Amino acid sequence: MQYYDTGKFGIIFVLLMVAFILLNIKRAKGEKGLFIRRIPGLNAIDEAIGRATEMGKPVLMVPGIGDETQIGVTAQALTIFAYITRTAIRFGTPIRLCCANATTYALAQEIIRDVYQTEGMMDRMEVESVQFISDRQFAFAAGVSGLIHRERTAATFFLGAFYAESLIFAETANSIGAIQVAGSTQNTQTPFFIAACDYVLIADEFYAASAYLSREPVLVGSLVGQDWSKLLIMALIFVGFLANSVQRTQEIDEKRTADGRWIADEAHKRKASETFLHTLFNPAAKVRGVKVEKTFASLDAYVQERKQELGAQADPVPGGEDEIREQKGQWFRWEVVEDELTRPIEDFVVIAPDGSVLVTQEWRGRRQRPETEMPPAGEGGEAV
Amino acid sequence: MNLFAQAVPPPPSFWNAPHGSNELWLRIGIAFSLGLGLIVAFLFLPTKARKPIVATATFLAGGFWVLYYLWPTPEARGPRDIPEGFFEGVGFWISDAVPIVAGFANIINAFIIGLGIYSLIRVNIHRIKRGQKDWMFSALLIASLITMVVFGYWDWNMKKNDPTVVENWTFVQLTSDLLFDGMFQVMESAMFSIIAFFILSAAYRAFRIRSIEATILLAAALVVMLSLMGALVHWWDGQVSTMAGWESDHFANNFRLSEMANWISANLRTPGIRAIEFGVGLGALAMGLRLWLSLERGGINR
Repeated sequence: MQYYDTGKFGIIFVLLMVAFILLNIKRAKGEKGLFIRRIPGLNAIDEAIGRATEMGKPVLMVPGIGDETQIGVTAQALTIFAYITRTAIRFGTPIRLCCANATTYALAQEIIRDVYQTEGMMDRMEVESVQFISDRQFAFAAGVSGLIHRERTAATFFLGAFYAESLIFAETANSIGAIQVAGSTQNTQTPFFIAACDYVLIADEFYAASAYLSREPVLVGSLVGQDWSKLLIMALIFVGFLANSVQRTQEIDEKRTADGRWIADEAHKRKASETFLHTLFNPAAKVRGVKVEKTFASLDAYVQERKQELGAQADPVPGGEDEIREQKGQWFRWEVVEDELTRPIEDFVVIAPDGSVLVTQEWRGRRQRPETEMPPAGEGGEAV
Repeated sequence: MNLFAQAVPPPPSFWNAPHGSNELWLRIGIAFSLGLGLIVAFLFLPTKARKPIVATATFLAGGFWVLYYLWPTPEARGPRDIPEGFFEGVGFWISDAVPIVAGFANIINAFIIGLGIYSLIRVNIHRIKRGQKDWMFSALLIASLITMVVFGYWDWNMKKNDPTVVENWTFVQLTSDLLFDGMFQVMESAMFSIIAFFILSAAYRAFRIRSIEATILLAAALVVMLSLMGALVHWWDGQVSTMAGWESDHFANNFRLSEMANWISANLRTPGIRAIEFGVGLGALAMGLRLWLSLERGGINR
């Protein structure tokens, strides 16, 4: 398999990052004391819970409104909430965890119940500890805002996937003087949280939180693996910057075609699409079929000789016009029978000014099911 | 009622069988027995024994999507194509399985939504019983829930049985419309509109000059906000152009409002957002990997 100029480099890059993460998880299990820098937002968690304990008010946690496709974000938020819950119940502080998604609710209830159980305080788990509010965005926003006002929550944690409701939560909690720690994976909501909350986890600090709080080797190792991946990305950006800076100043007399070939052209400064790194990540369009070189004296000769060669029963059907390797031509579709099944074969036919025929490309389709059978399911079911 | 009625006849694949055939019933029976067996097994197995089952199911489900991403996709697949060779065969199988496997999540969600409604009713009835503060809102919520379900289902059922109802509304359609479009949607819009006022109060606090960072934020925000005010931009840029003597390559042109705002956007905002996206993407990758391989146990097993 050719990886350069086919777009497969992206897959190799992802696999490399996966390897970094797994390798560091293995390393972390063997080593102790890998360093994680201080994250103020996470240090504030204990302070916020302490304040709620002093005031005798509940701690509110909201894991965002992410759906099943964002379960990773929600699971991360719930992992942090498990830590918050453990700390809160040790001080006898009630918790309120509001969910906007039934799946999140089921998951949250299991996790929080498990925390109460391991702490031996099942009797302190209340009906309202974990609750489903609504799966409609603003109904959920109204429900949570109402809860903040009614229960006068002293500490609020908004961690997860938030959208337009983020500021409603943050400003409502601010209006009652609650300490707020927030973090969202949505770029558009982070500024709102920064403006309205006391502490904000920005970007991957949100993902680093569980490692920071628990110091579990798997999580710490994973975090170090992420840092290695970041170094790789940074190195690639630097190499890209250098390579492009040099290449973009070069004057070349060729251009890159859509199918990845370099052909002669007027002298020009190398374009961004003609740089090495661009070709590494952007696959060239594949030409249909395989390259062949067959010449025939005329179109009639092509039909007769090819019919004999393929063992086809009928003449070819002329198809769409196309341009391949700077040659204009037309596809001709044949149907041959193999093991009682038909197989389409198409030739790209270029007719020269003298009437001779050149076949430059041949496409062999798959054998076809008889028409009486129904087509298969799946997204590949559309016509060619 | 025909529970297996489908708008489009299911095409034959590994996941299906011809409509109404014995093979279909056999497959349904096997799937049902397997599902029931799993539920019973989960009920009676000790907690420790459940974990490997969950881990295996997670690995298989995640493995399917990893395979879908990494396995070569069959090119230009026609509706009647027969796969050629092992690689194409697996590729075809994966493509056929995608809608089926994606449907698994919908089935699980259908079960879970019931749990959500149960929680909602339990919490609010508990509040009403205890006569907690603002218990009447809980009563209103339960009443609204029942009313919406009753009228929603009634309306759907009438429209299904009598298509002329769509043209000639009855009391049911009027009430259903009043509840949904007339009340629910309007209240949602009202909640959304509150954000405008919250933005103002949050911005006021954020832009107060308390530190160097807040001052930089204020300056950058001011330039970007002013650059969106047409009349002001016209006046300011005109002054700058006059100062530059209307020379297009004069240094002073860098201080046109639109230029400054574009510079902030292209050189400060975009790289910042990209950096955050890299971090979030890597975090998601690591999290997904830990979930897939059942290494992520911090919240559940401690």
